[in-house]
Amino acid sequence: MTASKLMSESEAIDRFVEDGDSVYVGYTSAAYGLCQAIVRAGKRDLEAIGGSVGPQGSYLFLSGCANLVRSGYVAAALRPGIVQDMMEDGSLKFEDYSNQAIALMLMAGALGIPFIPTRSFLGTDYLRAEYQEHPGGFLGDKKWAQMESPFDGQKFVALPALRPDVAVLHAQRADEDGNVQAWGHMGDAKWAYWAAKKVIVSVEEIVPHEVLASDPGRTVVPGFRVAAVVHMPYGAHPSGCSGYYDFDYGFQARTSTRITGSREAWQAFADEWIYGVRDRAGYIAHLREVFGQDALDGIRADAGQTPAGGVRYGYASQLRFRM
Amino acid sequence: MTHAEDYTLAELMCVVAARSFPAKGVVMLGMGLPVLAGTLAKLMHAPGISLCTEVGAFDWTPPEGLTRAPIGIHDMLLNDGSAMVSDMVDALGTLLMGGNVDLGVLGAAQVDRMGNLNTLVLGDYRQPERRLGGTGGNTEIACLARSLLTMMPQERRRFVERVDFNTSPCYITGPGSRRQAGLQPSGPNRVVSTFGVFGFDTPDGGETGSCEMVLEAVFPNMDPDIVKLETGWNLRIADEVSELEPPTVEEIALLRRLDPHGFYLVPGRY
Repeated sequence: MTASKLMSESEAIDRFVEDGDSVYVGYTSAAYGLCQAIVRAGKRDLEAIGGSVGPQGSYLFLSGCANLVRSGYVAAALRPGIVQDMMEDGSLKFEDYSNQAIALMLMAGALGIPFIPTRSFLGTDYLRAEYQEHPGGFLGDKKWAQMESPFDGQKFVALPALRPDVAVLHAQRADEDGNVQAWGHMGDAKWAYWAAKKVIVSVEEIVPHEVLASDPGRTVVPGFRVAAVVHMPYGAHPSGCSGYYDFDYGFQARTSTRITGSREAWQAFADEWIYGVRDRAGYIAHLREVFGQDALDGIRADAGQTPAGGVRYGYASQLRFRM
Repeated sequence: MTHAEDYTLAELMCVVAARSFPAKGVVMLGMGLPVLAGTLAKLMHAPGISLCTEVGAFDWTPPEGLTRAPIGIHDMLLNDGSAMVSDMVDALGTLLMGGNVDLGVLGAAQVDRMGNLNTLVLGDYRQPERRLGGTGGNTEIACLARSLLTMMPQERRRFVERVDFNTSPCYITGPGSRRQAGLQPSGPNRVVSTFGVFGFDTPDGGETGSCEMVLEAVFPNMDPDIVKLETGWNLRIADEVSELEPPTVEEIALLRRLDPHGFYLVPGRY
């Protein structure tokens, strides 16, 4: 047994997120609760990272915590509003990549290699020389390189490895040692667990180690790579967590998609749902007050779907053989 | 088979896109309407296809008692009924870049004469009139899938001579340009709009032919000249333009059942 990694969300953010850090936030396994805790802690000069960056990442831009984003898709820029304005007026610097690029860059970071080749981006305008020094960018000509394979001369794009200072992720369950299990489609989260220098995970449930050890194939990161585990039911709300709850599209329509419309809309949202609550438990209590228990019941995942034929990771404990 | 009387152009586009899915093969669905069209195709027109998403769902079969199409490619519903779920390196790397995807189905803000798409920016990249959400996996799907189906509302501002920014290459600048860029051939490629269906003038995925978009079929009562009016260049019309079968009552009914919350088909909601 190692020392417990279990702590409160504010302690995890205070101890492991520093001003100036690059922070993987992602889109799937979205750690809404941890992102709101970062905003509450008033961190500064952060960079947000994710193949796609969901609305929880935009909390970091809108609150002034982050002023850089490295991504292929910024959900908050989908509609006209202040995030688009910030990207156009330079107050939010960005590097345009893609889902595949960020996923591969995290993988390269995790593998400890300096770059990784891709065939994506060939033939696109992203590679045009005059776009490499973009006024909205911050990486300059270190963003990527066009190369030929040393083996067969084929063209490819070399993407730089990415090692975020910290990753904030949400998952289904963990034990106190920080062994994390997640299931369902994972987007680029899988490699963020391995690429980030510090990993902070919020989970729906804390379970005994024996539960994880009975199904180790579902573990996405062992505890020795995890800095902090936070027990946070509904930590991904208003996005989803497979087996627990779906996206809360109603809440998103009423709040998330409107907050980029104006500074006032953002401030009203932040005052009520971020600064107005102490932590995620307070947020969920407030959700119940405003929308009733039905807001949570309506997104709850169906139970009892486990098909017959569970897997046992068995082995021959009384192994006998002849040489 | 009774033809539906009452349907919107967006519904028509989804139905025609669903009908044009191949009978089998690996299909990667992009964001937005491709998810709805793909679900319709799997249930009605092409049950043998393997639907995949860039987020990590592989060969999704709609589970028994399906109450809706997935709402976007992140929907938890895609974890139920998939043969495999994994991550983006597997989906956009092993599966897509490894050469296993037969068809990519995409939407975008703009499409041009050579089929290239733009998901990123309107106007000049360095001084944009407008930033958009971004490309997600659209870029690599266009680069690396063996063929493409693009769904695009027929509007002059969307069908442009040359995209403001080519995020997602089809035939780039014309014959040979995919190969010069280091990409494999792509095709046969299609565009389905709210007015008709387009192919491209190339027999070999972009090596020869003019590679330009050609109007091949129109929706019922649609005059090819109207399609030209909503196209930003001098659109080529095939010698024989066929008229598409209108949607059936069954197709429209199922499509609406798949969108009970109005995410896809209620104007302005998605």
